[in-house]
Amino acid sequence: MTAHTPRILTDGETSLFEAFESSGLTGDDRNAAIAALKETGFPTRRVEAYHYTDLRALLKGGYSVAEKPSEELAKTVGAKFPRLVKDACVLHFRDGHYFDWGEELPSGVSVDAELPVAKAVENNAANATANINMAFANAGVTVDIADGANVDRTVGLAYAHTGTDKSIAATRFAVNAGAGSTSNIAYRAVGLDGVDYLSSSVVDLDLAEGSTVTYLLSIEEGDAAHRLAQLNVKLGKGSTLNLFILNVGGKLVRQEINFDVEGEDVNLNISGVNLIGGEAHIDVTSRITHHAPNTNSTEIFRNVATGRGRGVFQGQINVRQPAQLTDARMACNTLLLSDDCDFSAKPELEIFADDVQCAHGATVTDLESSYMFYLMARGISETRARRMLIKAFVAEIVEELEDEDLVEALEARIDVWMERHV
Amino acid sequence: MLEIKNLHVRIEEDGTEIIRGLNLSVAAGEVAAIMGPNGSGKSTLSYVLSGKEDYEVTEGSITYNGENLLDMDVSERAAAGVFLAFQYPVEIPGVPTMTFLKEAMNAQRKQRGEDVLSTPDFIKRVRAAAGDLKIDFNMLKRPVNVGFSGGEKKRAEILQMALLEPKLCILDETDSGLDIDALKIVSQGVNHLRDPNRAVIVITHYQRLLDHIVPDTVHVLSKGQIVKSGDKSLAIELEEKGYADIIEAAA
Repeated sequence: MTAHTPRILTDGETSLFEAFESSGLTGDDRNAAIAALKETGFPTRRVEAYHYTDLRALLKGGYSVAEKPSEELAKTVGAKFPRLVKDACVLHFRDGHYFDWGEELPSGVSVDAELPVAKAVENNAANATANINMAFANAGVTVDIADGANVDRTVGLAYAHTGTDKSIAATRFAVNAGAGSTSNIAYRAVGLDGVDYLSSSVVDLDLAEGSTVTYLLSIEEGDAAHRLAQLNVKLGKGSTLNLFILNVGGKLVRQEINFDVEGEDVNLNISGVNLIGGEAHIDVTSRITHHAPNTNSTEIFRNVATGRGRGVFQGQINVRQPAQLTDARMACNTLLLSDDCDFSAKPELEIFADDVQCAHGATVTDLESSYMFYLMARGISETRARRMLIKAFVAEIVEELEDEDLVEALEARIDVWMERHV
Repeated sequence: MLEIKNLHVRIEEDGTEIIRGLNLSVAAGEVAAIMGPNGSGKSTLSYVLSGKEDYEVTEGSITYNGENLLDMDVSERAAAGVFLAFQYPVEIPGVPTMTFLKEAMNAQRKQRGEDVLSTPDFIKRVRAAAGDLKIDFNMLKRPVNVGFSGGEKKRAEILQMALLEPKLCILDETDSGLDIDALKIVSQGVNHLRDPNRAVIVITHYQRLLDHIVPDTVHVLSKGQIVKSGDKSLAIELEEKGYADIIEAAA
């Protein structure tokens, strides 16, 4: 017997439902997503996938769906964020709306500016991120990379919020890497500080047989922004994904990264840097499922928490019974720099195959005092010494990216963060 | 230049007193050797002079060029010209040596109100100083001290000293872990820096280093006090008779 207690809606929940009602957004998918959200509500801490991120407490009310900004505003705000990849072909989104500025596509790449169909999700509270996106996303593109194409320019998906307080902006992208293709994708989310907007993003990335994708996910939301996002990846036989994630902004960031390793001989390399300062709550929740034999996955995150920042890394690795000879490795290293910051790291391994290697490790430390003394004994101030050591800690991960200009651009973003928080 | 009066120092963590009423003065242009047996407080003295946190000064004073050294933090002392050549130089993964050298040189220049060095000027200076100390320039592309041999680390310390041009150099057992050839190179590096405006404190167990860096004064440290002072002949006497005799005679 199940006893139903009537659930009291939070301001955040009420606000989303009202925003949907008044938005004029229609469609069966959207209605179903809203119905699901109404039924389950936002996840509580009892939902394991949200154990460290209580959306009911963190997401406040007052939202409405963002209008399409003027071309002029869209361009002005974009100009405040210099490009990470200089010669990229960039598709622009502002406040959840697409701006087609006639960007010339590299050969082998085609773009369909229709909203991609959302993937169906089970109706439970753990799927809040997907359901919110399904309900609100009204713009997006599908990027197709032709079979065998060797795409010579990075394809950029640029999302910026132009600054209307309490507005919801949602996008959904699909990227399909054709068989044997090679490409670089850079997804970047930026926004103005001091503006409380809700950014919802879902990206579905499919790697066909033998394809190689290098994917950069740079999250630089404004310091009052709330972001609920998913990157869902399917990896086909013999494919390789190199994913790099940088988190340097946002008040609340919930970034889910889900990987289904479906084919044999896949290489999945995930690395990332999470910089968590001020009042930020940054949650990277990862689920890797190995379905097929003989695949490798490596995952490493370096986190720096300071101020009153709270960080979360949940790393789940599932090895299904057929996935023999899986080699999966996960590491999470954290620097805790203040008394009031915290970081929660949770590995979860679920292994049904018997001939596999799975490793996981987490470390938490402060800056090494003997290093600090050595640097300061040469006249380097305490602040500069701290920044040098933090940079060294994260640079090891960033510098594995082969593109020197990109490394420089990302390190510049890290420097800006350190100037503000260290 | 340096005036230490009745200095008492204990380890912050457990309260053990290491320096017990030490008096020492070192003049500009002077090379002072401090010798003493294990546990006499030699390294503690070097750490207290450079400002390491783990020690507490309970009594006494350290005056450096007329200023109270104990009022300054580690980096301020360094910028004011105090340089400690570490007995065990620290390996710092991820910080390239060249970045570190440039940061240190420019930090000190800024504190002194001088212009920061241009990159070509900086590289020129490092190349020249590295050449004098027979340091392979490529080694400096590695992270600070990472993968350096014992001798390379000590030479890298002297390289930093040459580049930072300090006023008060403290060499903490710079001879330990050095072979004879490296000892000569390091000593030449130090002798090269001898200057009427610069003082050097050489902390060592053995007289051997003092054959190469000839001191003006020699002080014997025992149980946290200077128990005997003299000229270079005192070092030779120590080598012949051992610490026990000298310390007993002084007591």
